[in-house]
Amino acid sequence: MMWLAHDPVLTAAFACATLPFLSMAVILIFTRPYQRLSCAISVGAITVCLGSALYLLITLRHAPAPVEYQWAWIISSDMVIPFGFLLDRLSLLMLTIVAVISFLVQVYSIGYMHGDPGFSRYYAFQSLFAWAMMTMVIAPGMLQLYIFWELVGLASYLLIGYYYEKWSASQAGKKAFVMTRLGDIGFFLGIITVLLGFGDLGILHMNHAAQAGDIHPAVVTLGALLIFCGVVGKSAQFPLLTWLPDAMEGPTPVSALLHSATMVAAGVYLMSRIFPFFAASPDAMAVALVIGTITMLLASTMAFVTYDIKQVWAYSTVSQLGFMVMSLAAGGYFAGVFHLTTHAGFKALLFLCSGIFIHEYHTNDMREIGRGGGRKLTIPMICMTVGALALAGIFPFSGFFSKEAILGVLAAHPNKLFLAAGLLGALMTAYYSFRLIFFILFPRETAEPAHHHEEAHGGHGHGDDHGGGHHGHVFWAMAWPVMILATVTLVLGFFQNELQSYLLGLEPAAHGHEAAEHGGHGLGHYLLLVTAVSLAVGGVFFAYLEFGWKKATQEGFLRKFPAVENLFANRWYMDHFYRKALDLCVYCGFTNIFTRNDRRVIDGGIDGICRFTVGGGRAVSFLQSGMLQYNLVLMVAAVGVLVLVFAL
Amino acid sequence: MLMTAMEFAQFPILSAILFSTLLALLVILFIPDDRPKLVKQVSLGFAALGLALSLYVYFAFDPQKGGLQFVERVLWVKSLGIYYFLAADGINVPMILLTAVVLFTGVLTMWELEKRVKEYFALTYLLVAGVYGVFMSMDLFFIFVWYDVSLFPMYPLIAIWGSTRKEYGAMKLTLYLLAGSALILPGILYLWAVAGGTTFDLFELQRLGFDVQVQRIAFVMLYLGFGILAGVWPFHTWSPVGHVAAPTAVSMIHAGVLMKLGAYGILRVGMTLCPEGLVYWSDLMALLATIGIVYGAFVGLAQTDLKYVIGYSSVSHMGIVGLGLATMTVDGINGAVFQMFSHGIMTALFFSAVGYIYDKTHTKMIPELGGLSKTMPKASAFFILAAFCGIGVPCMSSFWAELLVFISAVKTYPVRGILAVSGLVVSALFMLRVVQKTFYGDKNPKWEHIPDVPLFLASPRIILVGILIFFGLFPRLILDIIQSAVVPFVNSL
Repeated sequence: MMWLAHDPVLTAAFACATLPFLSMAVILIFTRPYQRLSCAISVGAITVCLGSALYLLITLRHAPAPVEYQWAWIISSDMVIPFGFLLDRLSLLMLTIVAVISFLVQVYSIGYMHGDPGFSRYYAFQSLFAWAMMTMVIAPGMLQLYIFWELVGLASYLLIGYYYEKWSASQAGKKAFVMTRLGDIGFFLGIITVLLGFGDLGILHMNHAAQAGDIHPAVVTLGALLIFCGVVGKSAQFPLLTWLPDAMEGPTPVSALLHSATMVAAGVYLMSRIFPFFAASPDAMAVALVIGTITMLLASTMAFVTYDIKQVWAYSTVSQLGFMVMSLAAGGYFAGVFHLTTHAGFKALLFLCSGIFIHEYHTNDMREIGRGGGRKLTIPMICMTVGALALAGIFPFSGFFSKEAILGVLAAHPNKLFLAAGLLGALMTAYYSFRLIFFILFPRETAEPAHHHEEAHGGHGHGDDHGGGHHGHVFWAMAWPVMILATVTLVLGFFQNELQSYLLGLEPAAHGHEAAEHGGHGLGHYLLLVTAVSLAVGGVFFAYLEFGWKKATQEGFLRKFPAVENLFANRWYMDHFYRKALDLCVYCGFTNIFTRNDRRVIDGGIDGICRFTVGGGRAVSFLQSGMLQYNLVLMVAAVGVLVLVFAL
Repeated sequence: MLMTAMEFAQFPILSAILFSTLLALLVILFIPDDRPKLVKQVSLGFAALGLALSLYVYFAFDPQKGGLQFVERVLWVKSLGIYYFLAADGINVPMILLTAVVLFTGVLTMWELEKRVKEYFALTYLLVAGVYGVFMSMDLFFIFVWYDVSLFPMYPLIAIWGSTRKEYGAMKLTLYLLAGSALILPGILYLWAVAGGTTFDLFELQRLGFDVQVQRIAFVMLYLGFGILAGVWPFHTWSPVGHVAAPTAVSMIHAGVLMKLGAYGILRVGMTLCPEGLVYWSDLMALLATIGIVYGAFVGLAQTDLKYVIGYSSVSHMGIVGLGLATMTVDGINGAVFQMFSHGIMTALFFSAVGYIYDKTHTKMIPELGGLSKTMPKASAFFILAAFCGIGVPCMSSFWAELLVFISAVKTYPVRGILAVSGLVVSALFMLRVVQKTFYGDKNPKWEHIPDVPLFLASPRIILVGILIFFGLFPRLILDIIQSAVVPFVNSL
């Protein structure tokens, strides 16, 4: 391992791509019975990774060209699948985000998961998650990216279904895995398309060749569309979006990780990773834009009616992901990545804050948290409000800047409908996030009986046995990460320009789009800014009218349209539809037909032949009775027959 | 490749492996009936010896050099041209290792066997001797003889130590496989006779070459004959039934190794001698394989018996092997051989894991189980890991195999390839469904008293999981070996 010592950059990248895996292996094999040790190993590994990621980001921030390391993972005929690291601006930024969020979530989990019987297992899976995501981010080729993309899916399956004794949790894990798998089939076929049509799966090569027009346009379009299927699955875009709201069955810190920097971010990351490739196909971009828009609007409506605190944030994630996809599909590379970055921060913040409430009140219902006195938990309350402000896009929180950037991109798009949709989305986001905040801030005693401690939805199945400890280390382990994230959310927006010049310094391909994006720095730009902010403020104000002020009914305007409310609450009946389709096609359809075929036709046929043989033997067995007279009679008969045959 | 009649380049290691199993059989037969413990220890000792020797072959095999290594070739019957001809190349080295691993872990898995221990292990060794013989022999006559040697012990092994309709399963399996033999033997003799009846040596026959028409006829006989054992759709129904009926370690050997014998036979005999026949029939092969992949996954979805589930997953996974072979490309055949190895280890793990559960709960019906992860987390983890491997989770060895096969399949047969890839969703659904229903959910009071698997009994599964993950992380360690044989093979097609 001498070569490691000579190249600190390689050492650091290597650490990110191996340490969490080793940590998982060690925990699962050796230290499972020792909870504290397991936790220490996992947190230690991710700390080293965080350090490495920061080191890489700092050393390589001015690197003129991407740093690439590759080794042949497998060689088959002329196909070489490399394992390696591609360290460029985008991957380093994302690596840092992943490391930071994973680190904070793991620290937070020390408090949140305290006393859970599966503590060691939890940390092993967290390590797996971090490993898969980080190695995916720095993958130099599409196949490595795909491999770790699948592992990210596996880790999510394990963590979503962490409370496996709960049926709904294991169901949600399975759903997430199978639905994302559905998209991944497209992704895989897309990779093969590129392989067959172009012959090289190196990300940089693909990007350059697509930009230079070296790949046949049909291959680019088909490849991009198929790869986009993977994005649709992973980033929960329409029509594969229903797994994500269910995924909150996992422990809340897992949701924080899943919704911000890992699982769902992978899809958007993939899209920005091969952005020049996508951009080379206007058709694929158009499809992605439409899908992103539908997703964003659809998911926002779902968030209007739910009372589950985590579910609101889950829907908001779906809708914000749609927003990012819109941005990328409209050509806004920086805006999309920037929103991915800010969103990672404030969405993790929102979930982690919610986790504190859930941990404290053992319920996911925002009304009950409010009635239980949620606002007395000052730190999480303030931090959550910060997160919600960022989500709503209010100045000066980070979400404001990134949303502005995306709206700027959409404004530059010839079809203004998308801009309108974006603005509508901003309004709706502000409305539903503050609906939640006001529910907790201004609780009402309603006629409904309070059923405390029962519907602990977030799968907080384990003990009240550590109650009252929230001012000890348990509480602070949770509070620190939250406060750090809140600070990040507050200041990150002001680094927009730095981030932009950092990211685009190396992306001349995307520069053209960005120029267009910032071409309209005139009146139009300010008009847009004012419109967007006033819409966001309007949304907040509207929420205040309905849920905040003293005379508010806290019912929401949708109560007046029960049909629409039902539609939203049932997620536009998408789940029902899928359930029906699955039952009809898979269980009652193919499975049934094939099973019957197996039993009746194939086996039936074979058994029939066997029965025929046995039966035939029985039927003629009387001939072999063993009686001499019979044999004589038969002999004479046979001779008679022969005589007849030959004589005539 | 001309060789003198007698050629022992070095210590005859392949013969040593082959005859150590026969020696084990003899030694076991001479142990008194009332010493079951000793029988087990002797079995384990010989299995360990076989494993060590196979590991030696695996490490000593030089993939750079490729070709046939460790060659032992003696003329046996001159008038018929029968040679005692053992050799190792890139295709059978992984198979020999697979056999040794499955035998070793199989003996460990059956450590708690109490019924007629001596006979059980004796028959197992006979079975394994046949398997080794087929994998190592390069002479058609011996391939056929060893092939039948490996089939014969299956009947008593299932009928005596089995469960769940064991007589039916044993009979069905035996009839099917003998039907396969009945196709293989005329196929082999036909080729032998056409070539002049002077040699059974595989490579001499290959050099002599055959007429296109002859190849087409012979190939389809060999393909169907060996294909029955490989679980090719629609001749697959013996396999789930047989697996269910067989005792744990027999299922392991059977699904893990014996089914590979079929695919190996297609590759070694059929494809080597009848490349033109392969070209002619490859369309059909690809079609049947694709149907098998998708069909197996769907039928698996409806099963309620754990072993049936694994049986149908085998049908699906062996379809991948068939698809890989049918592509006639380096990637495809590489993947197919890799899949033979990985699937062997994976199913062995599956059956071994189910074996422990069945031993303790006396049921393998999924609806009666449930919540097992709570009471026996370790025992459950092995099954879950095998299921992940079956789904094709990366960094486990079968992922690479499937990757290679699917890439070349989409290239060669786009429609069938895409269908086969889509089968992945169904297989994910069906594996995860079984995992969920069997292991997840609340603690089942019925099984609360069951202890988790102790380290010694878990050791076979630990070895198998280790191999799956090791070759998943470092696939080149086996793929380079495979490739050393596949590249010249494909070039000669």
